[in-house]
Amino acid sequence: MNAMLKSFRRDPLLAALWIALIVVAALWIAPFVFIVFTSLKTTSDVMATGAFTPPTEIAWENYGVAWNRGNFSTTVFNSALVAVIKVPLGLAIAALAAYALARMKSRFNRAVLLFIVFGTMIPFQVMLAPLFTLVNSLGLVNTYIGLILPYLAFGIPYQIFILHSFFRGVPKELSEAALIDGAGHFTTFRRVFLPITLPVLAALFILDFVATWNEFAMALVIMQDAGKWTLPLGLMSFQGQFSNDYGQLNAAIVTTVLPAVLVYLIFQRYFVSGLASGAVKG
Amino acid sequence: MKNLFRKMEDEPWLFLAPALLIYAIFAIWPMIDVTMMSFQRWNGLDPERVFVGLSNYRYVLTQDAVFWTAFVNTVIWTLLSLVCPPLIGLLLALGLNQPLVGRSALRAIYYLPVIIAPIAVATMWRWMYDPFFGLFAQMLTNWGFGTSIPDFLGNRETALYWVFVAYVWQQVGFSMVLFLAGLQNVDRSLVEAAQIDGAGRWKTFRYVTMPAIMPTITIVLVLSLIQSIKAFDIVYGLTGGGPSQSTQMLALWAFTQSMQIFDFGRGGAISVILLLITVVIVIPYLRWSMKNEGRS
Repeated sequence: MNAMLKSFRRDPLLAALWIALIVVAALWIAPFVFIVFTSLKTTSDVMATGAFTPPTEIAWENYGVAWNRGNFSTTVFNSALVAVIKVPLGLAIAALAAYALARMKSRFNRAVLLFIVFGTMIPFQVMLAPLFTLVNSLGLVNTYIGLILPYLAFGIPYQIFILHSFFRGVPKELSEAALIDGAGHFTTFRRVFLPITLPVLAALFILDFVATWNEFAMALVIMQDAGKWTLPLGLMSFQGQFSNDYGQLNAAIVTTVLPAVLVYLIFQRYFVSGLASGAVKG
Repeated sequence: MKNLFRKMEDEPWLFLAPALLIYAIFAIWPMIDVTMMSFQRWNGLDPERVFVGLSNYRYVLTQDAVFWTAFVNTVIWTLLSLVCPPLIGLLLALGLNQPLVGRSALRAIYYLPVIIAPIAVATMWRWMYDPFFGLFAQMLTNWGFGTSIPDFLGNRETALYWVFVAYVWQQVGFSMVLFLAGLQNVDRSLVEAAQIDGAGRWKTFRYVTMPAIMPTITIVLVLSLIQSIKAFDIVYGLTGGGPSQSTQMLALWAFTQSMQIFDFGRGGAISVILLLITVVIVIPYLRWSMKNEGRS
C-alpha cells in the first residue's frame, strides 16, 4: 500500500486510473447487489424501498417458495446429471483424439485436425432445427443421452484443439523413451501424457462444466418435457409465470447463478489459464 | 489375443474414432441436413420432405420482411460487438496490467458476468429494465426523472440497443482476460527502453505494446465475431425478438420459423445463409491459425 502511495505521488495519472477502475468495477457489480437485495425483499418492500436499500426485514422465504414453485429440485438434478456425465466423458474422448493427432503417425493428421478445428467455429445456435430433427429421428428427444451427445459434439473440437497444441509441446524424448521400453501408445498416453496434462485438463474441466451448466438453446429444443428441463429452462419458465413476484424471481435468479459463481470463485486461476492457453499461445 | 491388444494400442484410428464419430454425426450432419431442408418443403412431422428447389430462398429474400429486419439487426449487432466489448476490454486490461493494489479482485469482478448463463443475464436485465420497479426506473426516479422513464425493451427503435448493453456487460470480461494474457507477451525491457528514450504513453503503446499484442487482437476480434453470431439466449430471454420483431436476429428467426411456425424449409434457408456468412469470415482465420500451428 505504501509503495503504491509513493508511486501515486510520482505518477498522479496512476492514481486517477486506479480510481477509474474501481468506479467501473462498482458499476459492474451493481446488478448483482441489486438482484441479491431484491431476492431478500417482500413484494411490498420492493415497491417501497430504493434499489440499493438493504431489505428492512430479510425475506428468506422467497428462496423456499421459488425453489418449490420453480421445481428447482428437478432442474438442478437434471443439470447436475448431464454435467457429471458429459464433462469427464467429453474430456476423455478429446484427450485420446488429441494424442493421436499430435503423436501418432498418419497421413491424414493435418486434414483431420483442420476438420475438427472447423467445428470450433460453427455456431450451433444456427442449426437448432436439424439438431432436433436428428435427435428426434433417433428417438432420443427428452432423454439425457439425447442432450449429452450433441453437447459432446460441440464441446470436443475446442478441447482437442487445446490439448493437441499442448501435447505437441511435450518433449519427444519423454514419449519415445516409453515407446522404446515397449509400451504401446495407449500406455504411453495414460502413464506419461495424462499426468503432465493435469493442469490443462483441470482448466478445460472447469470451463466445460460452466458452459454445460449454462447451456440453454440446445436444451430448449431437445428437452421439451418439463420433467427433463435443465436449470436455465426452469428459470426461463419461472420468469414467464411469476415475473411479478419480484422477490421470488430474483431468488430464482440467484439460485441459478450461484453454483457457477462458486465454481468460478474457487477455481479462478484455472479459468484464466484455460482461456489463455487456447487463445494466446499463437 | 494379446497381440491383438498390442496392435490396437498403436492404431491411431481407434484413438480418433469416438471423437470423430460423435462430431460427424451431431455437428457435421445437421449442417448437411439443414442445407437439404432449405431446398425442401417440410413441417417437421410428415414422413415426406418435398423438393421445392430455390423457392424457400426466394421467399425468404424477397417476401419475408422480418428476414431483412433480422439481417440488419445481426449486422448492427456484429459491428457493435466488434467495437464495444473488445475496446472496453482492452482499456481495462491495460489498466489492470499496472501494479495496483487489489487488481486481482477487480479482475475477478469484471470477469464474473462471463461465467453466468446468458439466459440468467437476460432474466436479470429484464428485471432491471422493468419500467416500474426495475433498477434503472428507480434510479431515474431518485434523480428526478421519474416522469420520463423510457420503456427500455418496449420501444421498437431502441430495444435492440438496450439488449446490447446487457450483452456488453456480460462480454467485456472475456476480451479483458484475453488481452491481459496477451499483454504478458510484451517485452518489459522494450517498454522501459522506450520510456528512457523519452517516448510518451501513447507512443509506447502504439509502437511497443500494440505490435506485440497484434495476434491477441486478431483472436479477440474473431472470437467476438463468432460470439455475436451465436447471440441467441440473451435476445430470446430479454425480448424474444419483439416488440413486433424489432430485435429479431437471424439465428433466432431461423429457430422461430422451424420450431414455432413449423416451416423447416424457410428456417433452413435462413440457417444456410447465416452459415455461409460465418464460413466466409472464418476460413481465412482458420488458415492463419493453422499456419501458426505448423510453425510452433
